[in-house]
Amino acid sequence: MGAFLVKRLMFSAVTLFAVLTLVFIVIRIVPGDPALVILGDQADAAAISALQKRLGIDRPLFEQYLSFLSGAVRGDWGVSLVTGRPVLMEVLAVLPWTLELTAVALLLGAMIGVPLGAWAAINRNRMPDYLTRLLSLVGLSFPPFVSAILLLIGFALALRWFPVISSNRATWWDWFQSIALPALNLALIMAAYITRVTRSAMLEVLQEDYVRTARAKGVPWAVIVWRHALRNALIPVVTVVGLYLSILIGNSVLTEIVFNRPGLGKLIIGALNQRDYMMLQGMMVIYTLIVVVVNMLTDIVYAVVDPRVKLS
Amino acid sequence: MKTTWLASATIAALLCATPALAQKTTLVVGMQTQDAGVLDPHLNSGTPGKALMNWMFNGLVRIKPGQSSPDHIEPDIAESWTSSPDGKEWTFKLRQGVQCHHDLGEFTSEDAVFSLKRAGTKDTSAFSSDYAAFDKVEAIDKYTVKITLKNAIPSLLGQVMSYHGGNMVCKKAADGPDKDGFAKKPAGTGPFVFAEYVPQQYVKLVANKKYWRGEPKIKEIIYRFIPSDAARDLALQAGEIDLMSGRQEQAWVDRIARTPGLKVLTFGPAEMSVIHFNMTQPPLDNIKVRQAIAHAIDRAGIHQFRGMSISRPAVSVVPSGYFGTHETAPLLPHDLNKARQLLTEAGFPNGITIKAIHTTLPGMMSFMEATQAQLKRAGITLDITPVEHPTFHQQIRQDLSQVVHFQAARFPIADVYLTHFFHSSSIVKTPTAVTNFSHCKVADAEITAARTEQNKEKQVALWKTAQEKIIAEVCAVPVNEMLMNWAHRDNLDLGYELKGSLNLGPPITENTRFTR
Repeated sequence: MGAFLVKRLMFSAVTLFAVLTLVFIVIRIVPGDPALVILGDQADAAAISALQKRLGIDRPLFEQYLSFLSGAVRGDWGVSLVTGRPVLMEVLAVLPWTLELTAVALLLGAMIGVPLGAWAAINRNRMPDYLTRLLSLVGLSFPPFVSAILLLIGFALALRWFPVISSNRATWWDWFQSIALPALNLALIMAAYITRVTRSAMLEVLQEDYVRTARAKGVPWAVIVWRHALRNALIPVVTVVGLYLSILIGNSVLTEIVFNRPGLGKLIIGALNQRDYMMLQGMMVIYTLIVVVVNMLTDIVYAVVDPRVKLS
Repeated sequence: MKTTWLASATIAALLCATPALAQKTTLVVGMQTQDAGVLDPHLNSGTPGKALMNWMFNGLVRIKPGQSSPDHIEPDIAESWTSSPDGKEWTFKLRQGVQCHHDLGEFTSEDAVFSLKRAGTKDTSAFSSDYAAFDKVEAIDKYTVKITLKNAIPSLLGQVMSYHGGNMVCKKAADGPDKDGFAKKPAGTGPFVFAEYVPQQYVKLVANKKYWRGEPKIKEIIYRFIPSDAARDLALQAGEIDLMSGRQEQAWVDRIARTPGLKVLTFGPAEMSVIHFNMTQPPLDNIKVRQAIAHAIDRAGIHQFRGMSISRPAVSVVPSGYFGTHETAPLLPHDLNKARQLLTEAGFPNGITIKAIHTTLPGMMSFMEATQAQLKRAGITLDITPVEHPTFHQQIRQDLSQVVHFQAARFPIADVYLTHFFHSSSIVKTPTAVTNFSHCKVADAEITAARTEQNKEKQVALWKTAQEKIIAEVCAVPVNEMLMNWAHRDNLDLGYELKGSLNLGPPITENTRFTR
């Protein structure tokens, strides 16, 4: 396990370095001038040039790259070109919002998706199966910004159960109210994925000899399903959860915007629109780290779920 | 007895409840943005920041709240002012007792001088070029400021009003050891004081209890950044926000106006959509081709398309209502036959194809697509390359687009629009470039002469001639003007009639209040 982690960490460091370099180059290839964005459409060439100099974006690319890399190694991600505040501070301020949203959505998605998938599998080609497949198809087809608006119209405007602006965390009740709809919005998509994978994995497992043996021995059907079949069916589910976590974070961009929640997604869109190179670089490091960590955690969870898997 | 007791209890409850209901003093504003940008009035030129700055800062003078025309200039921090006959020396008498925010003391001439010099410095201001004609700014005494100009300019008062570089900052806040610290805790003298900034979420302002016009009735403003149009609409309907920036769409205006409890605000200055032709590139270097395009565009049709109550047809190459606009300028009329005939005369009987790099912003793109459809009828193919907004702004300044659609409002004096868009000093890709995309220079003499002309009638006549020359040369085709749309809940009383706002958002003054 220890050797595995060291190996993965070393691999992650190389990945991170490659991503940093790639991001640095790609961001600067994309047209658009941060100085022009900051100064607005009335700025003259002299003012734009003065600001470019002040921001340091007039320096040779290689010099900027070295300065960026040396800063990154020292944990200094620079300051936002637009707000002048440290990138790390801005990222850390919103990171917990995205992490908690993703975690709650994931949990909720699994709580909905796993039982539904199992229910569909044990009722194969019957009404519950058709219904579940239809629902999961709807969940997969619905763009998250559309479902977000529908949730807001239904639960925030018509029923007034939840607020439209989901950014109040003053009390636990406020926290619950502000996370409920955004998390549900993301969870519906996650649940759709998980339902389909659980169903197909369960169908496969239910055909196995040991299930037939257990039935022949008179083990109660509920015990067979929940103790013997479902646990084995969860291995592909864990893979899917790991893979789709990145998609979930991607979907959180739109969810954060519609529900007006702070978060990495909202920050990255703002940074992209404003061509805030420093902020974008910092964000990319965070996203890369998240993907690397999630992949590593997925591997570890394999070993926990399936004792046959050895981490080496 | 029981009835009497119940009635008494009800009245008592109402008496208790009424003050509570009347005490709404927090104004929540929903702005269409991810963030307000840097909180420094001399650096923040974006639409989301302008309104916010206006609530925190004063100028030496201001335009009366609710108006956007310089005809309504009135004293702000300066009580009075005088100017020399040649318009080069201006003396302002400051009001005594105006207090800087955050207990930084009285605002004096020293602050005003510092602020104007700061506005004219490239490193600290996005508007430094506006102050190029400033020679000296001096504090004559504690309450007197003297400005000496190298040459007279069309509106000195426009440079010292609560707009762009004219916003007065307090020296102690902006001249400290941490110069970047000003944007973290900006200090002016306006009705509202900066209290808190939470990135991506909001800026909180509180009432300036020492405001010299009187303590504002609104005690707190939460300026929320809500980029999603739908979320802002829903939040307004749910009563979570009280005032919001809206969309430039007739359907949106009609829908909000029909919604009980909500009101729409439509006001100027209008942003004018102009099609600029790069006259250095074929086939647009041929005036007959430019005339053909101008004849092919139907301004009335575009007006109808963009919304009858939120737009109006353009009248000249300077937006209507500006000081110096030629309100009856000889724009080429819509005439498809004439357009086809001119193309044939220019040697293009089978039509032409012209290319435009264009922003993907929906409002601007829909205009361009409508124009594309109109041009097609005359045999002119407009080939649009859609790019993201920052890319659009960079590439049109690199002279990469044959045709540029630019939608903008400027300080409402003809000189600004004419200089930025049609004077040779502003031609793109030059050291003094601003936004002259057409490479137009036919009216340089008139634009330059009008700037220093002290006789108002002669000045206006020069601007009129300049506009006629630009139209005759067909450097650009002005098409349509779009007004701004905001919405608010009907319990909000702005305290004035809103016809215009240079800062692109409704001013929140000491008199703004909730009626219930």
